[in-house]
Amino acid sequence: MPEPLLRVDDLSMVYQRRAGLLGRRAQQIRALNGVSFSLGAGETLGIVGESGCGKSTLARCILRLLRPSGGRIRFDGDDLLALPDEGMRVMRQRMQMVLQNPFSSLNPRLSGFELVAEPLRTHTAMSRMEMADRVASLLAEVGLGVEFMSRHPHQLSGGQAQRTALARALALNPDFIILDEPTSALDVSVQAQIINLLLGLQRQRGLTYLFITHDLSVVQHISDRIAVMYLGKIVEETSSEAIFANPQHPYTQALLSSTPVPDPAADRQRTILPGAVPSAANPPSGCAFHTRCPQAMDICRAQYPAARFVARSHRVSCHLYDESA
Amino acid sequence: MALLSIENLTVEFNTPFGAVYAIRGIDFTLRKGEILGLVGETGCGKSVTGRSIIGLLDDNARITAGRILFEDVDLLRLSDAAMHEVRGNRIAMIFQDPATALNPLFTIGAQIMDVLRAHRPAKRGDLKTDAMSLFADVGLPDPAQMMHVYPHQLSGGQQQRAMIALSLAAEPDVIIADEPTTALDVTIQAQILDLLRVLQRERSISVILITHDLGIVAETCQQVVVLYAGRVAEKGAVEAIFAAPQHPYTRGLLAALPRPGSRGSDLQVIAGAVPSGLERIAGCAFAPRCEYVMEICRGQQPAFSDIKQAHQSACHLHETFADA
Repeated sequence: MPEPLLRVDDLSMVYQRRAGLLGRRAQQIRALNGVSFSLGAGETLGIVGESGCGKSTLARCILRLLRPSGGRIRFDGDDLLALPDEGMRVMRQRMQMVLQNPFSSLNPRLSGFELVAEPLRTHTAMSRMEMADRVASLLAEVGLGVEFMSRHPHQLSGGQAQRTALARALALNPDFIILDEPTSALDVSVQAQIINLLLGLQRQRGLTYLFITHDLSVVQHISDRIAVMYLGKIVEETSSEAIFANPQHPYTQALLSSTPVPDPAADRQRTILPGAVPSAANPPSGCAFHTRCPQAMDICRAQYPAARFVARSHRVSCHLYDESA
Repeated sequence: MALLSIENLTVEFNTPFGAVYAIRGIDFTLRKGEILGLVGETGCGKSVTGRSIIGLLDDNARITAGRILFEDVDLLRLSDAAMHEVRGNRIAMIFQDPATALNPLFTIGAQIMDVLRAHRPAKRGDLKTDAMSLFADVGLPDPAQMMHVYPHQLSGGQQQRAMIALSLAAEPDVIIADEPTTALDVTIQAQILDLLRVLQRERSISVILITHDLGIVAETCQQVVVLYAGRVAEKGAVEAIFAAPQHPYTRGLLAALPRPGSRGSDLQVIAGAVPSGLERIAGCAFAPRCEYVMEICRGQQPAFSDIKQAHQSACHLHETFADA
């Protein structure tokens, strides 16, 4: 089996926070707690979860925008956490990120040309002429004409701004792009345009995507595999088809049943979870989901369930699937 | 029975760039005990419609035509004092972001007691009991303790529940909910939508649910009004419209949604973008993006055709096929 492009092993991230009166009490927030997965070249892995599950922290750790507290990240054979800063700077040319809100991620004072040319200026020795050609062809690739070279972010619609952000991410010909809720701020008809663009770019350039979202219907459309996160852990990981056809973890099942389906005739079995996601500063014992789980057992309160394969490449962390059960 | 009828509502905003036509004449009817979904993309006028009904438009807005009939009284002709009575007592509104809609300086208890005091003259002790029973009705844990809790101490879902309790305090007949779950996680969204359905069933409250999410409409509403560029494209019973959408815009919207099993295939897109509110539109607002566009569409605004009973669509195609 070929080495995957990205391999994350037992990654954890603990934020330190000062709490209490005058910040005298140190508080630890465990945003990632033993996350492992691998991602093959040209594949898309979808990361799904609600606010506070750690999905954005995961993205930032992979790009080393944050220093994880433990674990290993291998990208194309290199240990990212062991790379010196200069090595990581070079490596980042191959790894890019696109964020949810292009209006806050794009510098409002820069024109389309300057925005897309900025990575070229930082990482290459291109002349201005070469850059102009390159920017024009990148804009064309994301469906924008040359007139967008002179437009500033405030002159763009949400879809056009997200296309500009994509052109910028593509400027250095990356292998790998992290997409953090790239369509969540867009209207339905524009969302479809951006999803199609992402699929097309992946086909043409053989890109590898890590697609982070809270929207199950969007993520299943674009991903080969899906990992479901809850409070800093991956609770289930399998193919996109199997997540919908055969969800195993009670949290995945509840997420699916909570996602509104645009079909009033659909026969829905609704599981409405009680309560809200607990705080990562004070997570529940055992399986963190037990406080909301409709099928919680005694063991769930005491012990975190180890990951188990319930089918080929379908892994679940839940005591319901313990061998003795 | 029609509880609330919107007739030819037309709203403009004065801006430094000129008049922005936010709503270009819309008609729809809310019946008693019904949840009606007002759905559309950014800028279609769905929030402005909600705010027009409850009289909370910004100062630069002008209602240039139309009527809003609530139990046969035109709300647009009411005095400020009379409208103040309607607002809260008869029609209440909840917003997308409960964190900004609640007052951060007062406990949830104090805020709901305020509403109760204004709307129901009663003894202080009774007010407190009433407040706690409202907290229990909307599913907030430990109602007695809620009396002493500040908004920031609640989760997003609990804040929205508190907001709903506040809106129920005056026992309104209609609640206008403007994207009430957009800021919430899906499992919390499911809880809040379930709460709205329970309120509708048990208190026969009528709800106008403003949303951009067709899934929410399909699961929560009985009636739907699809807005495009400040006009109604299609309206009617939810089952009828989702089973057989007639307007090319509604069809396009439904086709653009990713669904299970569609993996990797290109989604259908609606080419182009929504027209600017600054434009005057002579013909059909959707004509520049419509794949079935005909000569007549550019010059003449289509009237509503009855597709079936309680299902209407404004598109020249229906006339063309009816004649043929």
